[in-house]
Amino acid sequence: MIDLEVAIEALLLLGVSFAPLAAGIILRRKFRPADAAGSAAAAPVTGAQKMGRLAGNILFWGGILGILFMIVLFLHFKGKI
Amino acid sequence: MKTLRPLFIFLSLALAGSYAFALEPVPWNNKDHAAEFKYFQESAAFTAEGWAALIPEGQERALQAAKQPALERQEAIKAYYSAAMAKWSSTALRDYTAKTKEADIKAVHLWLGKEKAADFSRKLALTHSALKKARAERLSDKDALALEPYLLPEAIADLRALKAASEALNNRSSGEAPKGPGSRSTAALDKFAGPDPSKLGADSFAKLYDNMSASGADPVVAGRGQYAAGAARPGAAAQLTAPATRTPAFAMPGVKSAPAAATVPTGTAKSGGLTSDAYGITIYTSGAQQPQTFRKGEDAVAAIRRMPDGSITRIVFYGHGGPGLQAVGPFDVDAESAGIMLKGKMARGGVVQFAGCNTSSVGGPTLNPAVGLSILARRLLYFSLPYFQDRFGGTPSDEARQQWSRTWNADLARDTSLNLRGSVVCGYRTFGLVPGRLPGVTAIIGNQEATTPGYVAGKKACYQDGREVPAQ
Repeated sequence: MIDLEVAIEALLLLGVSFAPLAAGIILRRKFRPADAAGSAAAAPVTGAQKMGRLAGNILFWGGILGILFMIVLFLHFKGKI
Repeated sequence: MKTLRPLFIFLSLALAGSYAFALEPVPWNNKDHAAEFKYFQESAAFTAEGWAALIPEGQERALQAAKQPALERQEAIKAYYSAAMAKWSSTALRDYTAKTKEADIKAVHLWLGKEKAADFSRKLALTHSALKKARAERLSDKDALALEPYLLPEAIADLRALKAASEALNNRSSGEAPKGPGSRSTAALDKFAGPDPSKLGADSFAKLYDNMSASGADPVVAGRGQYAAGAARPGAAAQLTAPATRTPAFAMPGVKSAPAAATVPTGTAKSGGLTSDAYGITIYTSGAQQPQTFRKGEDAVAAIRRMPDGSITRIVFYGHGGPGLQAVGPFDVDAESAGIMLKGKMARGGVVQFAGCNTSSVGGPTLNPAVGLSILARRLLYFSLPYFQDRFGGTPSDEARQQWSRTWNADLARDTSLNLRGSVVCGYRTFGLVPGRLPGVTAIIGNQEATTPGYVAGKKACYQDGREVPAQ
C-alpha cells in the first residue's frame, strides 16, 4: 500500500512538470491560426481567441522550459553540471 | 469558444474577488502584522489616525515595505535584550550604565513587552544605585547578594573593592604607596566613563518604564531603526541608537574578490576538463585582508584549529550539497562536524555559508515556478528515488518511507546554527545553479577548480540559533 502511495505521488510530481505543456498543446490546437484564418471570411478573429492562443503559447513554451529545467536539475544531481 | 467562456468568466471573477479580498483595510495594530506596526510606531511613520486615513492599497504597500526591516529590527532588539540581561562583567557594567538611554528601554518595551522592559529597567536601576553606593562606601554582603543575578562574581568583587581602590589612588596622589584590595582590577570601574551615576537619573528608569505608554497613540522614537545588526556584544553595550553598519543582503564572496592564494594559488589550480570540478573552503578572518582558500577539507580543518577563538568572520563551504549534507569534494560536512570544526572559532555574528544545493529546508509555499520545480525535483530525487532503491534492496516499506520522509527536507543550515550559537548559518532552499559550472563555460573561464562559487542562482535562507534571519 505504501509502495502504491509513493508511486502515485511520484507520478503526480512528474506529471506536474508536464501539465503546463499538455494544457498549452490543447489550447494551441483549440485556437489554431489556420482555423481562424479559414473562418476569417465568416467571422473575424476575436480578442478571446487571441488570448486563448497566447495562453496556449505561454503554457506550451513555459512547460518546455520547465521540463528542460528539471533535466538540468537532474544532471546537477548526478554531478554532471 | 462558447464552452471556454464560462471558464474565462469564472477565472476573471475569482481573480477580481481575491484582489478585492486582499485589499481590505488592515486595522491599526493588527496582530497578523504586529512587527510592522511596532516598526511604524518606533519610526513614527504612522499614527492610528494616519493609518486609518490611508487607502487599503497604501496600507498594503506600507506593510510590504516594512516587513523586512521590522523583522530585522525585532531580531536586533531580541539580541540586544538577551545580551543586556546576561550577567555583566565590570566592563559591561560600565558600558551599560553609561550608555543606556531611555530610548533603549522604550524600544525593549515596545518590541518585547512590559515585563521584559521592567526587568531591564530594574537591573539598570539596581546596578546604578550599587555603583553609586560603591563609590561612597563598601558594599555589604546583602548588597552583593542582590547583585548576584545581574553581575558576574568578578564584577561584584570589583564593585566591593571600588571604595578601597579609590582611596588608594587618592593616597598615591598624596605620596603614599597604593594599597587595598583590588587596586588593579578595579581600575576599570574607577575610570567610569559616564557622568556621576547619581546624575544619570538611575532612579527614574523604573518610573520611566511604569509611566510609559507605547500603545501607539504616542509614537516611540527610540533608535528609529538605526540599530546596527548584531550589536549584542557587551562591549558595545547599549548601542541601540548607534549608526547602522550593514552588509548588503545576498552578498556572496565572488570570484572577483580575488581569493587569496593561501593554499591554492590562482592560476595554477586549473584543470583541462570541459566540466567543472569546483569545490573548496574559503575562510575570512578578522584582521586579514585576504581570505584563505583550501581545496582539501582536512587542510582547512587543520588551519581552523590553529586560528584564534572568535576570529572567523565568514566561512564558505562550496561544492555539491544535499539535504543535511555539504560535500566539499571528497570531504563531507554535516551539522555535527561543522559544529565541532568551528566551535569557538566563529566571531560573534560570523557567517557560515553552505554554497551547495538543498542545504536548507524547502521552506514555505511559493509562487515562483522555478522554486516550485526545484522543490518537486528535490522530493523526487531525495524521497521517491531512494525509497524505491531501498525497496528493491529489500528494505521494508514503512522503514524506507520513515527514513526518507525524515531526511529529504533536512535543514543543514538550521541544524548547524543550533550547534554554533550566535553565528549566522546560511544554505540554499533550492538547487543552486552556478553559471560558471556549466560544461564548456567552465573551460572558457578556466575555473574548473574554483574554490568559491561566485554567483549562485538559488533561494538562500539563513538561521541564527535555529531561527531564520535575513539572508547575509
